[in-house]
Amino acid sequence: MEFAIFFLFAAVAVIFALVVVLHRNPVVGALSLVASFFALAVMYVLLEAPFLAALQVIVYAGAIMVLFLFVIMLLNLQHVAEPVTRPVQQFLGYTTSAFFGIGLVYYLSKYAVFNALPEGPFHADARTIGIKLFESYVFPFEMVSILLLAAIVGALTLSAKSVGRPGASESGAEAR
Amino acid sequence: MIPTHYFLILSALLFTIGVCGVLTRKNGITIFMSIELMVNAVNLTFLAYARQFHQVHGLIFVFFIMAIAAAEAAVGLAIFISLFHHRDTIDVDEANLMHW
Repeated sequence: MEFAIFFLFAAVAVIFALVVVLHRNPVVGALSLVASFFALAVMYVLLEAPFLAALQVIVYAGAIMVLFLFVIMLLNLQHVAEPVTRPVQQFLGYTTSAFFGIGLVYYLSKYAVFNALPEGPFHADARTIGIKLFESYVFPFEMVSILLLAAIVGALTLSAKSVGRPGASESGAEAR
Repeated sequence: MIPTHYFLILSALLFTIGVCGVLTRKNGITIFMSIELMVNAVNLTFLAYARQFHQVHGLIFVFFIMAIAAAEAAVGLAIFISLFHHRDTIDVDEANLMHW
């Protein structure tokens, strides 16, 4: 039963990830990425980390991907076709990533095979993570809060530059 | 109980798909989504090893990676909005201001 769930959602994750990479329309790509993240949340539940599965759904599929969709729709990219240029580089990209993947899977299946899990239950619920987070990881936690603040300020200054200033858009139009 | 290396191989496949997207696509937002895919593959690896070795540190790392991915997505998308305002495209071939 567990194996059936694993293989079903592994197939879902891989297929939707392929749609993200291969589909021309970025809106379809973003929605497929949401589906792939949901399948990964199922993987997290199978790995006995239900708290992080909830975070995966709320933060990734809920917040980050909605940001992506907002930006895609804000920029009105649905009908922008991607012209095929640089075929040699594209071919090299496909072959390099194929060899990379084959090598990775080969060495993982050869050297990273663990036979047995250690005995005893593994508690990875919100309580355990919270205690660990505020005991040994308080300093990184505060650093992440400062980093998020810096990211907010940076995103505002970057994206509001040509909208907020009245003269900026005209000078941008002249430069084009 | 599903063995750990199943999860590792799934994670390797997802990471490879992400690498393929970064190397072959030209749409900036698609490249960004491929990077998110790679980040998630690494998260899966962290959780698989956390269960294998009964360590909570891997879970804490996934927590931090999620927070930093949120910051990265916000700043990266702001850069693409700025690029779109200046160039009217997010094709990364067009972003050649620092090109030699």
